[in-house]
Amino acid sequence: MAQLTKGKLNYRCPSCFMRDLDIDMFYNKETGIYSCIRCQYRGTEEDVLAKNEMVRFRYGAMHKRFTKFDFDED
Amino acid sequence: MEEKFIVNIIHRPEMVPEYSATVTGQGKEEDIGDEKLLTESLDIFKTQQRLAHENGLKTTIQMTYASLFNDEAVELAKHDHEVYGDEIALSLLGLPCEEFREKYHTKDFCIWMFSMEDKKAIVRDVFGKFYDRFGFWPESTGSYYMDADLINFIKAEYPTVKCAVATCWEEGPKAYHTCNNSWYTLFDGGPWAPWIPSKQNTHAPAANEAEDSGIVAIPHLSRDLIACYDGNGSNFGTHPQNVLRGMIYDSKTWEFPYLYNLIDQYRALAKYNNGYAYNMMFVGPGWMNKMGRWEAPYELLYKSYSEGCKYYGDLKKAGKLCDMTMSEFADYYREKKGYTEPECALWRDILYGSDKQLFWYCDPFMRACVNMDQGGAIVDLRPYAAKLEWPVGIGTKHVQDASYPFLIQEKYRAGYFTHYAGEGTVRSAKLSYKGEEVDLCLTPTKAHFSQEGNTRILTLDPVTIEFRNLTVKLQTREYFEEGSSSIKIERTILEMSDPTAEVTLNEYMVACYGTTEYPEDMTCITLKADEKEIRYEYKCREEAVAGAGEVSAVIPAIETRVSMTQTGGAEGYIKEGYAFSPMFTLGYRKQIKDKEVFATWLNLQKAN
Ligand SMILES: [Zn+2]
Repeated sequence: MAQLTKGKLNYRCPSCFMRDLDIDMFYNKETGIYSCIRCQYRGTEEDVLAKNEMVRFRYGAMHKRFTKFDFDED
Repeated sequence: MEEKFIVNIIHRPEMVPEYSATVTGQGKEEDIGDEKLLTESLDIFKTQQRLAHENGLKTTIQMTYASLFNDEAVELAKHDHEVYGDEIALSLLGLPCEEFREKYHTKDFCIWMFSMEDKKAIVRDVFGKFYDRFGFWPESTGSYYMDADLINFIKAEYPTVKCAVATCWEEGPKAYHTCNNSWYTLFDGGPWAPWIPSKQNTHAPAANEAEDSGIVAIPHLSRDLIACYDGNGSNFGTHPQNVLRGMIYDSKTWEFPYLYNLIDQYRALAKYNNGYAYNMMFVGPGWMNKMGRWEAPYELLYKSYSEGCKYYGDLKKAGKLCDMTMSEFADYYREKKGYTEPECALWRDILYGSDKQLFWYCDPFMRACVNMDQGGAIVDLRPYAAKLEWPVGIGTKHVQDASYPFLIQEKYRAGYFTHYAGEGTVRSAKLSYKGEEVDLCLTPTKAHFSQEGNTRILTLDPVTIEFRNLTVKLQTREYFEEGSSSIKIERTILEMSDPTAEVTLNEYMVACYGTTEYPEDMTCITLKADEKEIRYEYKCREEAVAGAGEVSAVIPAIETRVSMTQTGGAEGYIKEGYAFSPMFTLGYRKQIKDKEVFATWLNLQKAN
């Protein structure tokens, strides 16, 4: 098997990201697979990007623009 | 009241950006003198400066040691000082370079972790080099953390220094964990907004002139006071690339309203601080790498920084923001704030969509967090009253751990909810009636801020507690009297479905001490209820005294004495923990009727 290298960007492991771990993945040129050396996640770029959309589920107000920061009656 | 929102924008020409060696340079042998790396780093610095200036903002240029060896970096700083009024300051970040390695024979780069001897040598070296290049001494400096011994030394040797970046809010075990336990910035427990550090401990603000370290400290970044307390701090700050690191942007449109919500919530804090609010943005060049960072390509990195600068610039144009250099800010702050005036932040969730609300309070005697989602329970408490001397760095007991110890920390010591057995740290109350018990931690509510004289008051919306045969409407008020080193919590029974009923109110605090997630030796602790005493031996003992004037705990390991006192009529009690629950409890139990008001105080003192 070929050695792993860095991919074109520093894709982090989406599975580890969800448990608050920033771990860069390494890339296999022959298979096109990114893999995590901390956990068991592996996937193509397409899968990584799809999982990165999933990790945003916790940011329920990510698209919202707030204008009020207290709960007082104005 | 006239409101003033101040921003410090800080750039550092770092010749060997953090991360470049290990991340972007992966697969290459380390070469910190690499010509290409130096050129690129300087280009990023120039870009950052340009983006600030194009938006009409002045900056503080924090020269790094490495950049003092670079003629172009020195000339750029002089030029921008002349043309834009930028302050030329000196950072203790960015030490790594060939010259530093040759001289100090180490790869250490965090100033607070060196031995005191090395700290002195490095400071003299770096300051001397700065003077050689510019012909004057700097007024501002900084690092991610500056320990008290380091600040005291700098102030004594270089009295011109009046401002420093001195901590990074809640960058402790959580940041360490996020980096797979490889990033040693362990300094939880400090202020989130500017303060005057005491000579004894950087985190703890000075209470008077005698304690004054002589500088005004600013935090590294203005951070989200809910998100950073729970998660990785480096995802939620006014560093546009924090927001990218947290993936808090739309991957299709590259929009990130969260950054603006964060800035705007900071602006809104003027309401709680006599009309003053503060922000800082401090982005090292490593984060605008041409090769991209994390999932973000360079174009997105550039966009985030450029739009961040534009947002501040537009606020300035609208008369809603005042940009200052660090030293200008130090002068303003000294003019504006007295020693005991607290920093207050009533903060709402602006990211997760939960409507949760916290209140953060910081003064020379304590830092406290009140969680409205848990009925106004205190979920974090740092006893600054102890002004704990806690040297850090090689040769001390704490080489890396610079956190200010907690008495209560709901994330590291469970808080209200525990698994199966034992208790977690929290200051709350329980109501019981005919065998049923309800903790106020299960009564989410919202708070409103007011000020009467020197007392800041949180008035919580009333909550309803439903027992099988009785409904109780209760209101909580929390009082923070300036300089008192106490928090008064008052409960009022507004209504009972049976006006003749009596319920038991149990005001309690479960506490311990520590700086990390792991338990400490509790056998140094002595608990007292008036004259009754328990010396901690993990034996699960309890003592109670009717009408006790005071219940207390002395914790010699952190030189802290914490006590509770009452308005009267309640039974005071103390509880020792056990091995599976290494905590202690102080509390008061009282029978309470409709319309009755009962108050207790939580008091902090130094124990010698
Ligand atoms: Zn992983």
